[in-house]
Amino acid sequence: MAPFDLRLLRQVPQTRRPVAVLGALGALGGLATIASAFALTTLVVSAVRGSDLTWPAVATAGAFALRAVLSWTTERVAAWAGARVSTDLRAELLRTWLSRPAEQRPDPDEALTLSAQGAASVEPYVAKYLPTLVAAAVVPPLAILCLLVLDWPSALVVVLTLPLLPLFAALIGMTTQADTDRRWRALSDLSGHFLDVMAGLPTLVSYGRGERQVATIERVSQRHRRATVRTLRLAFMSSAALELLATISVAIVAVLVGLRLTHGQMDLWVGMIAILLAPEAYWPIRRVGAEFHSAADGAQAVQSILDEISSEPGDPMGQRRAKGGEPGRVVATDLGYTYPAGQRAVLDGVSLRLGSGLTAITGPSGVGKTTLLELLAGLRTPSAGTVDAPACHLVTQRPFFGATTLRDNLTLGNDADDASVWEALRVVQLEGFVASLPQGLYTAVGDDGFGFSAGQRARLVLARAVLSGASVVLLDEPTAHLDDDGAAAVHEALRTLCETRTVIAVTHRSELVTLADHHVHLGADRTGRSATSVSTAAASGEPA
Amino acid sequence: MSTTSSTDRRVLGISPRIIVAGLLAGAAAASGVALTTTSGWLIVRADQRPQILLLLTAIVGVRTFGLGRPVFRYFERVRSHDAALDVLARRRAQTYADLVPLTPARLGRRGRADLLTGVVDDLTDVTEAPVRFTVPVLGALAAGAVATTLTASLVPAVGAVLAAMLLVCAALVALCYRLESRSQARVLAARSEVVRVGHLTARHAGELQAVGGQDAALRWLDDAHDELRGRLLEQSQGRALVSGGVLLTTVGATVASAYLAVGSGVSSPVQALLVLAPVATGEILGVLTDATRALARATAGQDRLDTLLAQEPAVVDHDVDEDAAHALVRSGRTPALQLEQAVARWSEGRPAVGPVDLVLEPGEHVALVGPNGSGKTTLLSVLARHLELTSGSYLVDGRDARELPAHAVRSLFAVVDDEPHVFASTLRNNLLLAAGPPPSDAGSTSPDPDAEPASTGPSDEVLLTSLRRAGLADWLQALPDGLDTRIGTGGHGISGGERARLAVARALLSQRPVLLLDEPGAHLDHPTAQAVIHDLLTAASGRTVVIVTHHGVGAEQVDRVVDLTREKVA
Repeated sequence: MAPFDLRLLRQVPQTRRPVAVLGALGALGGLATIASAFALTTLVVSAVRGSDLTWPAVATAGAFALRAVLSWTTERVAAWAGARVSTDLRAELLRTWLSRPAEQRPDPDEALTLSAQGAASVEPYVAKYLPTLVAAAVVPPLAILCLLVLDWPSALVVVLTLPLLPLFAALIGMTTQADTDRRWRALSDLSGHFLDVMAGLPTLVSYGRGERQVATIERVSQRHRRATVRTLRLAFMSSAALELLATISVAIVAVLVGLRLTHGQMDLWVGMIAILLAPEAYWPIRRVGAEFHSAADGAQAVQSILDEISSEPGDPMGQRRAKGGEPGRVVATDLGYTYPAGQRAVLDGVSLRLGSGLTAITGPSGVGKTTLLELLAGLRTPSAGTVDAPACHLVTQRPFFGATTLRDNLTLGNDADDASVWEALRVVQLEGFVASLPQGLYTAVGDDGFGFSAGQRARLVLARAVLSGASVVLLDEPTAHLDDDGAAAVHEALRTLCETRTVIAVTHRSELVTLADHHVHLGADRTGRSATSVSTAAASGEPA
Repeated sequence: MSTTSSTDRRVLGISPRIIVAGLLAGAAAASGVALTTTSGWLIVRADQRPQILLLLTAIVGVRTFGLGRPVFRYFERVRSHDAALDVLARRRAQTYADLVPLTPARLGRRGRADLLTGVVDDLTDVTEAPVRFTVPVLGALAAGAVATTLTASLVPAVGAVLAAMLLVCAALVALCYRLESRSQARVLAARSEVVRVGHLTARHAGELQAVGGQDAALRWLDDAHDELRGRLLEQSQGRALVSGGVLLTTVGATVASAYLAVGSGVSSPVQALLVLAPVATGEILGVLTDATRALARATAGQDRLDTLLAQEPAVVDHDVDEDAAHALVRSGRTPALQLEQAVARWSEGRPAVGPVDLVLEPGEHVALVGPNGSGKTTLLSVLARHLELTSGSYLVDGRDARELPAHAVRSLFAVVDDEPHVFASTLRNNLLLAAGPPPSDAGSTSPDPDAEPASTGPSDEVLLTSLRRAGLADWLQALPDGLDTRIGTGGHGISGGERARLAVARALLSQRPVLLLDEPGAHLDHPTAQAVIHDLLTAASGRTVVIVTHHGVGAEQVDRVVDLTREKVA
């Protein structure tokens, strides 16, 4: 896995500024660190030589004050940049999914994990790991450069020993790879156990098994402890080995400096700066290794999210909005659809021409009526054939009701003013009901329409369809779960709606079929091909 | 730090093992300080061009400190992690045991899964505090004390400067802790709002597209993100202050030490040592920033756990008749259930449901419908004896439920909720947990990854029958290892419909005479939900079945529909 994926800056340009600012601060911080080593050396040497301390003290204070300011700024900027990049990635990810047809979106559980925990793990990756990465790129070269100018033998020692660090790390990594992999797998099984039984607590309790799990949890957790400590021992051992290597390398520099000092071949100031600068070449690299461990999740998430948003762009709804299509007319030609996981086509060879008025679509369960509506609405991409339609408004069987207030739910996808909202409520005969609510349009609504009856929900989503302004309204079983009174109210509202829009409703209610101007029956012939029969009520003329 | 409540003491997790780890951390940190300062001494002494032999002690010292630091650190890390994981194991078991009596009524109606995942994270945060805060801070304190003492023995005034430096840094940490803790709750609230909006958008992407609500959803996300960014920036104040403040304090102490060292008349190598001492000490204080964050997180986690676990169980037994209950359970007959003027509520302050009158004859299949929020789930919890009535009465087989032990009444009901859990284990273990032998039985069929297959318990034939009756025959056919196929996290995939059917199979297998189903079709499409309920009702003939449904699915398949709107429940 690459420590930093450059696609991030290419594909999500909003992240360039935070990453650049963080990088600049890291570089400045590195410069200030080197400067403070110089100032400190001068202070120490002035003190032991008994010369005036004023200027060295001022310089030291200045260098450290600069470091303090940069360090303060870096913490603030890191928090901002981490939040910025992680939220931008999440927003971009969800924007991508919202513009894709159903078959190009990942499985819901996977999607939820990536957008929640995945994007969140990018935060520490940017805020903590990237600054150490910049420090590792800036401080060691600077330290070596300074040494080269001041005392080349010390620089030579550092240049010769520094590559041993990554080499050593790679060697340790390789020899322990198989072992580590096996242990991590066992570890994630063990640590997953508690999460699993915790999520299943209500299930276990309802079958009287809660108490019995307690002993198992302790036993598995203790096994988890032993396995973790074994793995950690290895990790800590290798980090200790790297530290030792760095210490020995610095010691070689110190011995060379000491020898030359005792022989009077070197100035004290140069010797002091050499031993203060040498460690600066090693620690930033060791820290990258240590931090990468905790940032690995974030680096992985960045890649997964970038893979997701960079894969084949497809925005059929956007294209349809842009292209328009003839208002109120829906034409399907030889339409077929196969679910990504399915072998058999759900729809095969469906051709329809639908226009103004109310069309009822009927057919036995499983024949693909819902899929047909989703294809007409552009929520799915046909496997065969074409759909020619304007932007449609589809009322699904489980319409979205996730906004906070009633008004926000009704104006989802449109920007209607209050007068239009009330007008739409009048069409669905809910004006009086909503007016009687203490908070009227601003009544709080829970997920899934909490607090309203099924009949009220069915009419509220019709009001939203009225407000949408779409010339084609598609309805999936608008009255399936309603009693006769509720269904009658919805049918009444549909009668008004279809005066101005093309309304296509999938239904199994005969009242709705009677009400319709056109009737499409969707069936399957013996070969499994979809068979449609279209009939039109006498009064409404051509089926467009 | 700012307070010394019992919460803080528990979070600090001070134990002999942690103190030993802290001392090891101190030895490592002190080695670091000694390495820098003695190197300074050595360089200046070498510049005086003495015989090499005179330097040998110091050279050996420098080597020892250089070797000592990684070695001490290694042992400190192994010990502290081992101790913390041991505490984690015990606290996990203890917390689980404490949660059992609170389940399900006290875990809240919505977001139960999030709450339980939150407990897992909070426990991890709390038990990590000793490793991330106590040990490094003890180490820094110990090393700081050693450095202060040693420099004071050379020049008392420089020792005083170091002591002052440590005090200022301690004050900074206390301030940082306050700032972190204060913003902790707000950051968490902002985070959970982002997760909520993100879930809403990801889960309902199709429905949002259907009504053209994409832009609105992205606007909500932007708002939530703006808030989160603001809160995170606010939270960084404390740690920014510490990381900048430690450097400023260090340089103040360094300049002061330089003047004091020069004025003290000690030898010039010792002067170098004294000037470098504050810088070396300042370096070991760098751990304080992360440590303080960890403490703030842990304290907040502990507070949440305390609030959750301090609740009273929803149903408490008083003077119950164990014998009558046992006779009822052992008889295996389906009891008649009767609610009279029953009123209940989830918790204080929540709206009450009722009064409800409801009679369920043995073997009757009933659907509860009504608007969401009308109390269907509350009623189900009352029937299952997960929730106590606030007034009215509940008769089980003609006896007041309060006279019977809650565990016995509960064992009459198999509850299928809208989020049935599939354990990461074999299909067999996922079923066996419902087939439970009586609680006194020793055979463990828990979904432990390595649990032995139970020797007693139902035969494979019984398990397979329950799967077939739940409509899972085709699914079972497709499984690579039949009953031994691993399902759940990391195992063979299982769809929402199959999950619901698996829960039904468990309920059938349990042989419990009453089945309570809370929106079994909530996450399923209409035909699938219809089919699941149809299969269930066919398989459960002779048992009493109550289905809660707010989408009306299945209402046409039952003997009787009880509409809570018309019952004037609200």
